[in-house]
Order: sequence, then C-alpha cells, then structure tokens
Amino acid sequence: MNENKLKAKDFITIGIFSALIIAVEFACGMLGFIHPYIVAAYVVLIPLVGSIPMMLFYTKIEKFGMLTIMSVLLAIVMFVTGMGWLGGPLIIAAGFVADLLAKKGNYKSFKLIAISHGIFCLWICANYFPVIVTAKDYRKNMLEGGYSAEYCDNLFRAINEKTIGVLLILCFVFGVIGAFLGKAVVKKHFEKAGIV
Amino acid sequence: MIKISLDPRTKLFMIFAVSFIVMVNAVTPLEWGIRIVVTLIPILLLAAEGKYASAFRFTVFYGVALLLLKYCISESSTGIFSAILVGYCGIVAQFLPAMITAWYAIRTTKISEFMSAMQKMHVPDGISISLAVVMRFFPTIKEESSSINDAMKMRGISMGGGKVTKMIEYRMIPLMFSCISIGEELSAAAVTRGLGAPVKRTSPYELKMKVADFIMIGIFAVSVIFLITAKHLR
Repeated sequence: MNENKLKAKDFITIGIFSALIIAVEFACGMLGFIHPYIVAAYVVLIPLVGSIPMMLFYTKIEKFGMLTIMSVLLAIVMFVTGMGWLGGPLIIAAGFVADLLAKKGNYKSFKLIAISHGIFCLWICANYFPVIVTAKDYRKNMLEGGYSAEYCDNLFRAINEKTIGVLLILCFVFGVIGAFLGKAVVKKHFEKAGIV
Repeated sequence: MIKISLDPRTKLFMIFAVSFIVMVNAVTPLEWGIRIVVTLIPILLLAAEGKYASAFRFTVFYGVALLLLKYCISESSTGIFSAILVGYCGIVAQFLPAMITAWYAIRTTKISEFMSAMQKMHVPDGISISLAVVMRFFPTIKEESSSINDAMKMRGISMGGGKVTKMIEYRMIPLMFSCISIGEELSAAAVTRGLGAPVKRTSPYELKMKVADFIMIGIFAVSVIFLITAKHLR
C-alpha cells in the first residue's frame, strides 16, 4: 500500500509538467485574439503541441492520482486567470477519468495511454462551456467589454451548442493523434538521451 | 514608504476576489471604479514592497489599455488591425487586474511562507507542493526559453525559418530537457529539507494575521459585495 502513495518527488514532477502545459496553453491562447476561429482551433493546437510534455509526463507516472492532481491544478489556474468556475469540475472529471483509464493499463499500455490522453485533452473544451451556457450574457459582456461585433459573431458562429459536440470529438481525436506524435518525439529525443 | 507585508492567506483571498471581479463585466462607472480600485491596490502594494519597476510598468500598461478602450474603439470597428488591437486591449483591461494580483502574490511570497500558510489551511500536501512548484516554475520557464531562443539565434535558427513543426520542436525539446533537470535538482533539494516526511513540518515564518491583512480582506470583500449588488439591482 505504501508503495502506491505519492511522494514529494511525484508532486514536484506534477508541478513541473503542469507549468509546461499551462505555458503551452497560454502561448496558444495568445493567438486566439487574432481571429475567433483560432479560439475554436485550440482543440487541434493544444493537444498536438501539448502532447510532447504530456507524453513525457506519462512515462513518469507510476501511481494513481498524478493525473487527477494535475487536472486540479489546471482547474485552479484556469479559475485564477478568469475562465470561470463552470469549467472547473469538468476539468477535474476529465483528469480523473483519464487517470482511471491509464491505471487500467498500469500506465504502460500505450493503447490506453493514447485514449486517456484524448480524454485528458477534453479539459480544453471545458473552457468553452461558459461561452455556450451563458451565450447571451457572454456576448453582451464581450461587446460591452470592447470586443468588436465582428469578433463576437465569428466566435459564436464557431462555438455554440451545435458545434460543441464536433469540438469535443475533434479534441478527443486530436488528443489521440497527439499521443502518437508525442510518443514519436519522446522516442526520438528523450529515449536516446536516456532520460526516460 | 512603509513596508507592508501581507499574510499569504490574505494574498490568496485577494487573488480569488479579483478573479471574481474581473469575471463580472464592468459597465457602469461604479463597476469600473471598483475594478480600477482593485487594480490599483496590488500596484501600490508592489510599490510598497520596493518593486517600483514592475509597479510602474503595470500602471502604464493598464492606463494605456483603458484609454484606448475608452476613446479609440467602438463596437463597429472592423478590420484585422482593430481586431488585434481590440483583442489585446480587451484582454489587458479584463485580465490584467488578476495578473497583477497573481504577480504580486508570487513575487512577494516566499515558498516556505506559502507552504506554511497552506499547511495552516489544511490543504493536502499534494496540492500545495505541486502548486508551489508551478508558482516557482513560471519565471524559470520564461528564463530558460529566452536563453534557448538566444542559443537558437546564434546558430541561425530564427523564427519562421523553415517549418512550423521544426520551430516548435527546436524550442520545446531543449526547454523540456532543462526543465526536467531543474526538476530533479529541485526534488533533491526538497527531500533534503524534509519535504514529504510523514511529520508535521515547522516553519521559521510565524504567520499571523495583522491589522493590514484584515483591512485588505475588508476592502476586497466589500468590493465583491458591491459588485454583486450592483449587478442584481440593475
């Protein structure tokens, strides 16, 4: 039992990789102000770019709970940076399910890791929920907040109740593709260097 | 100037209050007033801690964004340039207060202070340690990535030269290498100091809520309440 408990070293690993993921998220997020369609394209961008640190993170996971804690951290950071609390529980739920799935394969089976990464990536979609659930208010807020009407129209054309299903599926699919990409990169660079 | 150092718990409360305030949209002058007040307080606190440069930078940044939003941009502005401008001013005016507060909290809190505050609030070790690492790591990532950028420039691998995938690869991979090795050092240092030992840790920092803490909590609580009532009475 004691073997399965998380130690200080694991917590530090979680912290480092969470910081990397958040850095990737912010870098991609900055692009979103150019055009609202890029906001919708986060579901493609972030899983692909973020998969590199994530896959390396997966190689370091041995115990249950690391992914869950990471999702809690992501939820906290998203809240503090003003994404709202609507997404929070969803992010944590995605992390928890991803954790369970990966545990099933003992954090070794690549097939399950790929699926689990796909599900973990759904946390990106959680950030869209305030846009959808409170669509009317959100639009009004944005207009009053100084965004142009053109930007708003485009944003809501890209993200609404109809497209969220597509976005979720895309997010999952690209999460799985990202897992393969990340795996290849990890193999190319890190296994050669003997870090993994 | 007098030196005011707040309790980490107060700073945490400030972060939560401000991130709540920035989420509620400001329309009326009163709401804008509250927003500007909660932005100014962390700036003043930064100055009180002797961080004049960043305080000044934030003031200028926020002021310019506000002025631009107020006078230069309207709903009907279109085009790519104004879209970018609107986007950046919007994000600055909306999120900068939260960013300033978070910056203030991170810059002025020692990690051990933070840890002992978390312990006093009975936050599980896992969350508090990981959060402390995240907090500590942002400046490191920024530093590392800028030096990696320099190194790449020296070798003639500049932005946009070549494919996008290569650009990401050449920056991500070295960054991750250095982050991992820093992480290993960090965990060695932490374990040496007894982090993760199954005992209650003591801290050299005595945390006590002082008068200034209560005043700050008061100010922020009142502004949140003001904002909520202003929203619902409208």
